[in-house]
Amino acid sequence: MLPVAHVGHYLWVFYVIPILIVVGAILRNAIAQRRAGRDEAGESSTAGGGKITKRD
Amino acid sequence: MTLPVAHALASRQDLPIPAWLFAWAASIVLIVSFFALSAAWRKPQFEDEHRRPLGARLSTALLSLPAQILCGAIGVFLLGVAVYAGLRGTEAPDRNFALTFLFVTCWLGFPFFSAIFGDLFRPFNPWRAIGRAAGGAFAKLAGQRPAHLAYPERLGRWPAAVGLLAFVWIEVVYGRTSIVSVDIEPHAVAVAALVYSVYTLAMMAVFGVEKWCDRGEAFSVYFGMFGRLGIFGARDGSLYRRRPFSAATSWATVPGSAAVVIASIAATSFDGAQDGAFKDPIESLFNWFTDRGMALTTGLRLTDTIFMLATFGAVAAVYMLGVRGMRTVPGAPSFKQLRTGFAHTLIPIALAYLVAHYFSFFVFQEQAQFGYLLSDPLGTGHTDLFGTVANEVDYKLLSANAIWYVQVAALVIGHVIGLMLAHDRALVYWPDYRKATASQYWMLAVMVAFTCFGLYLLSVANG
Repeated sequence: MLPVAHVGHYLWVFYVIPILIVVGAILRNAIAQRRAGRDEAGESSTAGGGKITKRD
Repeated sequence: MTLPVAHALASRQDLPIPAWLFAWAASIVLIVSFFALSAAWRKPQFEDEHRRPLGARLSTALLSLPAQILCGAIGVFLLGVAVYAGLRGTEAPDRNFALTFLFVTCWLGFPFFSAIFGDLFRPFNPWRAIGRAAGGAFAKLAGQRPAHLAYPERLGRWPAAVGLLAFVWIEVVYGRTSIVSVDIEPHAVAVAALVYSVYTLAMMAVFGVEKWCDRGEAFSVYFGMFGRLGIFGARDGSLYRRRPFSAATSWATVPGSAAVVIASIAATSFDGAQDGAFKDPIESLFNWFTDRGMALTTGLRLTDTIFMLATFGAVAAVYMLGVRGMRTVPGAPSFKQLRTGFAHTLIPIALAYLVAHYFSFFVFQEQAQFGYLLSDPLGTGHTDLFGTVANEVDYKLLSANAIWYVQVAALVIGHVIGLMLAHDRALVYWPDYRKATASQYWMLAVMVAFTCFGLYLLSVANG
């Protein structure tokens, strides 16, 4: 017999899943944006550095 | 094959899909609404009420002094009947006019109808009527308007938030005499109403009638909050029609307004969870207290009070997390500004929770209110004022499934409106719609959380 006598007590997990999906998507998006911003900043500083090198 | 499930899976509903799948579907509706809003809604629509005056004659008639006196007198009379019934009537809660009138007809009726038509409580507010009459009499006798102290603006609407929680506490904590039953005595309710009346009239004398009604009088603030969603309003002696929900955008500018709406959601949530989702933890803490020698009633009230305050804290924390998330978007105003600026987006959610939790209760109890309670307000069985004393409640009026679908619809619609108001406000703070959308990811999470939590509470309560 399946040990499901008190499975009803864990039904709340099903209600948490949509919240976790939305929060997970937001965090993933935030991290990706931060990383893209950092990469952009890195690229522009490298470009700036190149100019300085040229002048030298 | 029958699975040996203990209890929770054996729901009284006969739904085609499990209840939790409704939470998933509701979340999808919210997510789709969110992207539809971000794609098509690029200018604020609710900051202006778009007032259109009603007919001058109708406006003058409804706001005339005799009409105000009549409405006020009706309010005072009904409060008097409720208090008298509580003091002199039967102690059987379901047979006494006082409980159903105060806790169902007023407590639920005013929010439901005010959310459609605008603030309906204001003209019938018995304390406002008495306060204004007393002020008028004083002015006539003394030859000058009564002087009032300046209201401490830092307090804002906090007195109303506390009053709101106190009212719900009386109903669901003080009135609960055992772990399984709510059995508040009409006499206790009548005494509480008298105490509250004295307190309210004293505060009106100190700070002024209108000021106290706007800031501290719990029922005026609470019902007025829902009234901001409605389509009618009054200003400068005339009635006007406005865009639905638009008056809500200016409601939360007073400090403590967020606490009022959070208290409303928390109170409904706690009432729904008390005998459902929170039943086991409440029992555990209650047993812990009683094992240490605490009296049963004290232990139960203390346990319930702790859980009620914890629910308030949890609802506030979810909202604050959403606000905190918005702060991460470039160009965001201060945390305080965001906290105040988005508080009104919780009003439709508070209404949705109210409808979802009490809609069926309201429909059933109003049959009693306009049936046997109207004809026999004291519940003595000796009077039949309107010949309706034999009318009983028809519990077959609504099926379990119909109730469930109304509950789901209320929660989904309420949260979509909340999302819409939040998106609209975000466009004020971030005129660039892309940033506004980015800020609202967090409110989407808040709305999905409240929707799923609400449906979970209902599914356990219905189970």
